Parts: sequence; structure tokens; C-alpha cells
Amino acid sequence: MSLVLDVTAHPAVYATRLLVEAGHSVIRIEPRAGDELRRMRPFLGDQPDLENGAYHQFFNAGKRSLTLDPSTSDGRAILLRLAGKAAAVLASEPLPVDEQALMEANPALVLATMDQDEPELCAYARSGLLAITGTPGQEPALLGSHMAYAAIGLYLATATAAAMLAAEQTGQGQRVRVSSADALGCFAEQSVVGWLAMGAVTERRGYRGAITAVSGGFPCLDGYWMVSLPHSAEGWARLMDWVQDPELAADPALADESERLKKRDFILDRLTQWSKRFPKEELVVEAQKRHIPASPVATALELAEDPQLTARGFLRQVDLPGLGTMTFPAGAIATVLETPMAPAPRLGADNHAILGELGYTTAEIGALLQSGAI
Amino acid sequence: MIDFTHVLAGPFCTRLLADFGADVARIESSKHPDSPWRTVKDPNLDRDVAYLVVNRNKRSVTINLKTEAGRELAARIAGVADVLVENFSAGVLDRVDLGYERLSAMNPRLVYVSMSGYGHSGPRRDWTSMNSNLQAYSGLMMSTGSESDPPISISNSWMDYVGGLHACFGIIQALSRRAVSGVGMRLDLSQFECGVSTIGPALMASAASRERPRRAGNRAAGAAPQGCYRCAGKDEWCAISVQTDEQWRALAQVMGFAPDSRFDSVLGRLKHHDEIDRLITAWTETRDKPDVEGLLKAAGVPAERMRRANEVAPDSSQPAGPFKPMSGPHAADVLFTTMPLGLSPATLAEPRSAGRLGEHTDDVLRSWLGMDNSEIEALRRAEVLA
Repeated sequence: MSLVLDVTAHPAVYATRLLVEAGHSVIRIEPRAGDELRRMRPFLGDQPDLENGAYHQFFNAGKRSLTLDPSTSDGRAILLRLAGKAAAVLASEPLPVDEQALMEANPALVLATMDQDEPELCAYARSGLLAITGTPGQEPALLGSHMAYAAIGLYLATATAAAMLAAEQTGQGQRVRVSSADALGCFAEQSVVGWLAMGAVTERRGYRGAITAVSGGFPCLDGYWMVSLPHSAEGWARLMDWVQDPELAADPALADESERLKKRDFILDRLTQWSKRFPKEELVVEAQKRHIPASPVATALELAEDPQLTARGFLRQVDLPGLGTMTFPAGAIATVLETPMAPAPRLGADNHAILGELGYTTAEIGALLQSGAI
Repeated sequence: MIDFTHVLAGPFCTRLLADFGADVARIESSKHPDSPWRTVKDPNLDRDVAYLVVNRNKRSVTINLKTEAGRELAARIAGVADVLVENFSAGVLDRVDLGYERLSAMNPRLVYVSMSGYGHSGPRRDWTSMNSNLQAYSGLMMSTGSESDPPISISNSWMDYVGGLHACFGIIQALSRRAVSGVGMRLDLSQFECGVSTIGPALMASAASRERPRRAGNRAAGAAPQGCYRCAGKDEWCAISVQTDEQWRALAQVMGFAPDSRFDSVLGRLKHHDEIDRLITAWTETRDKPDVEGLLKAAGVPAERMRRANEVAPDSSQPAGPFKPMSGPHAADVLFTTMPLGLSPATLAEPRSAGRLGEHTDDVLRSWLGMDNSEIEALRRAEVLA
């Protein structure tokens, strides 16, 4: 497995988390005060501190932490020595040291960077995605939990992986540049193609969906559940057999999707009245038994106990120092590759070990600490 | 790479691989033409335009998997492939004798990738899923919007893109491992897990607090004001995000606000966010969104108008952003997104439109399996290549 240096900011950091999940050894290079992820809410303990932020604990899981000031000559020298041993450096622009020095330190290096864009909400508005997220007529919505950043981080991860494979095969380094604006723009491809091919403008659809007549979220006893009934008459028959609604059953024309589209609001209102009486788990399990695509509309709290995520090893119990045993999402890639995932490192936890591996003596490390280089 | 995928998550994954230079052969059936979503047919190719975009840079091979000989032929192709990708429901390829056990015994170097909704193990393995189900179940809909909102979706196949990118990343990692170990592997990816991964911090926080996370709407924890503000016209909006005190002063000047010391610091602005939102809306709702955006940007305040697809898409004569014209023998008159990245010295494949159904059947059988014309004709007469 390869050594990877991580100098990414939040918008790009999912990329280095994925490299950890793939089994690589990732060193997170931070300022002495700790990076921005450590300061982001929410916190996992009762009191906010630099070690228990949820963003830090998730995105920096399994990494080693090296505090380093690249503006000092010693700090720069350490970074270049590390780059000499690394397979890849991932960074948000601007780079902490100049590109030429990095490539000279290691001609086989993959250097992958992403530019810094506007604030997330503004970038999301510009991309075309804001116009298709939210409830019709209401204020449009940014995807929550910074999902837009994870999305663009995926492009950085994938491009870096491709470049690392090329570098392994050729022995030649690679320079990767990902445009964060274009990466977000790619997620809007579907609506852009819809406009170019058909002149149709996709709008926000809220939770009721608009793909087929009977699709969308429905309120139930403990929240919402989601149904996507196919166009076919068979799907409708399966649903009717289950729901046993006299008013819907009284209209056999509804077996036809085009009729259902005409009476959509009526159907959805009837189904809402019915499903409000049941909890989501019961509805969803019964629907799946009847081959009706359905799922819960889950909250993060429900996901933390989800039976599927638990059974597949996506959710693991991990001992987080100072916090005790906690439910920990290993991630989709760590799950399929069965990668063990360690907790996030304490700030500067690996300074001594990493410098020792580079050949610095204990006395030299002490001096570097003294000078503020690390 | 042998590609048994359909609709969008799988074809998008193999498109990424094709853009990176992989030779991707799609195994298709003339009985069940594939389309990632419904657009319009290209009359020359008899393909949905969305198909041409999503399956660019790949080859199309028609094999009738309903025949014994067709299944054998597909297995022979998998026998010489580096990667097999499929997004059928759990168990489908096993039932046509193209499962991992058999194919990996034939070709130990094969990377065999399944990307179903929930994965091929666990209590939900047989659940059917659509993009909207995955948006709902993965937490996307309850993470988005404000506390008082119903669930909120994104009106596109977001989960397919997220799943496709994860799968592509996993495949490249498996190829790197194979370069060392000499053996392939099985990747049983769950699109559901891909989605949940993107809200990892919220899941950890909920697990620790035993509380559902609060929905923050469009607001930010350390920047205020931030939101989408109604502009003149029907359903028109402008996003504004004030990151610094200096930007706040600039905004207040542009909008002609009287000085108010309560709003001087970000903490004050967070506390009085509702009041500030009303002041801003009173100013924006009488103005057109390009004017709102333009005046604020000129003053150094981060602002972007909400753009619909027609406002994002460039004129076909003037490609912009990631959108470029399609090239190739059958170029349809559409633009599509290129990869949002550059590699050097490696290069990305030049984007070429997908072709006709089965257009490359003979090419692939010749170049991958070394078949001659008489063998191919015999298969065609036996209706194996349909």
C-alpha cells in the first residue's frame, strides 16, 4: 500500500478518506493549531475540543497526523523529504510548497490538486443543482451535511487513483487537476441534457416525486416512507391488493398509468390517509414482500442502527480515545475491501514517529519542535 | 472491461473508466434496449440521446444471454477481460451461470464488480431500489432543508452518480492491488452505502448523541447571513453567503441598510438571522436576479443566482464549463459534460458518442477472442448475436 500526503481542505477531504478506506497510509498535514475540520460542529463529546468533532473523526479516520509549518525552511524540508517517499500528494490550492520542488523531490509522484471555489451554497446555485433541489415554490435547498463537497471529493479521489495506477505502470509521475466548479457541474448533466435534447427544464419536486404517478414520500406514523411504483398495471394491482381502499378500487381506469397521472393528487391523498396509520418499518417490509420498490425516509439517527449497514460491516463499533466505544461508519469502500479503520489521530500524534522514519534524531526532533517547524 | 450494466449507476461507472482509457465492451440485448432515462431517440442510431451521452467511448456487443451458446460466449469474453461490471439485482448473473465463482475460476485475474442497490448480502439484499428510494433511505432527504420541511429530494439521479464514482474508484484500487498480487477480486458494492458514506459525520454525531440531527436549511455554522433570497419574477432566487465582516459591510452598503451594531459580528448576525433575512428579501424581491448577483459580486460579496438547466447549458456554438460538443461518426446534436479534470502527461480519451446497438460485436469477437469471420457468421446464424 502507498504513502499519501493529505493537505486538503474540507471541499476535497473526502478524497483522502477514500484512500484510507482503500488501505493506503495517509498522513494528514496540519497547522500546529489543528485544521478546520477539528473546529466544525457537531462534536461527539459533551464539550467541543479539537479531538472530538464529528467531521474530524469521520474524515480523518485512519490517518496519521503531522503538524508542520511549511512556511519555515525546516518545515518545507520535511515536507519535501516526505514527498520523496510518497506515491501521491493531494492538496487544495494553493499548494503549501511550490510544484516544481515537489516534482523534483520525487519524479514518480502523483500531485493532485483541487482549486478553491466560492462558498458551497453559491457554487451549488451556479452549477444548476440548486434549481432542482427543494420544495416547489419554496426557497430552494442546498444538499445537507455538505454532501456537495463529498461529491466533488469523489472526482479528486477517482482521478488520483487513476493517476497512481498510471504512475505504478510507467514509473512516471502525474499531475492531476480537478476543477471543483466543473465537478459539481457534472452532477447537473441530466437536467442539462434534458434541456438540450428536449427543451425541458427540470424543476424542484419536493418529496412527492414526479417520475411515475405513484412515487414519492408519504407520511406515516413515525415519519415518512418512500414508494416508487412502476408504470405498469401489475404494480398498481399489487398496491391495490394491499391497500384495500374502496374509493381507489371503485375506479378500475386507474390501472392505466395515464389515468393515474390525471388523478395523481387524489391518489396520493388517499394513500397518505392510509399510510399515516402504520410505522415506516412495517410499511416498507410489507411493500418489499409485495415487490413494490419502497424504503424508509431515514434520518441519520435511524441509519446509526440500520440492520443492513450493521450486517455488512459498514457500521462498526470502534473505541475512540476519550469517547469510549462508538458506532462508526467504515464507509462504502472500506466495507467492500474489508479494510480495518482506525480512529482519527490526535493533533500531532505522529510527529515523532514520522520524523523518526525520515531519519531525524530525537535531538533534531526536539529542536524542530522548539523552532515551531513542527 | 466487460460491461453488463444498465440504466445509469453502472453505465456511468463504466463511462468514467472509458474516459480514463479503458476498452469497455457493453454486452447488450436487442430485446431490451437500454436507456439511462427517457429523453428523445436519435433517429439515425435508434438510441435515446441520454444513452449516447452516458455510454460514450464504449463499444456495443449484442449477445443473446437467453441461449446457452450466448452465455458461453459471454463467459469467454469475461475470461479475457480485466474487469466485469454489473448492476443487476443480487443473484441474476449467478442464475445465467456468469457468477463470480465460475468466472474467477476461469480467469483468476478478473476483477468482478457488482453494484446493486443494497449489496449482495444482509437482510435487504433482495430489496428493489430506485434512485428515489436510495435518496430517501441514505439520509439525503432528511439531511436537506430546514426543521419544519417535509423530506427534500434532488430531482435527478444523484445516487447513480455517487454510486458510479465510488465503484470506479474501487475498481481502480482493485487493479492496483492486482498489479502486486496477480489475482483479481470481488467487489460487492452497495449504492446505499455509497450514499450513507457522504453523510458520515452526521451519522457519527447521531450515534453519539442518540438524537436526530437538526436540519440547518441553507444556513452555515460560521458564516452569516447565508441563504437563497427571492428575487423579482416567478420563483427566481439568488444565493448569498457572507463570509466576513467586511463582506457584510459591503452588502449593507449595496442594500442601503442603516448601521446596526447588533449585526457587526458573525455571532450577532447568526443571532438575528431571521431579521436580516427579511431586510435582504425586501431589497432582492424587487430586483431581477442577475442584477442582485451583479451588484453584490461587484461589491465583493459572494452571490450566485439560481440557474436552471437552460441557464447553465451553453449555446452549442459556445461550449463552456464542463460542457463540450460530442464528436464521433454519429455525433448527436447535444453537448455533454467532459471529465472535470486534467491529467498530465497521461491523457483522457477524446469523447466519442456511443454507436448503434451491436455495432462493435464483430470487432470485439475478433480482437478479444481471435474469432474469424466464419465462426462469427455461425454464431449469427444461430441467433446468438442478437
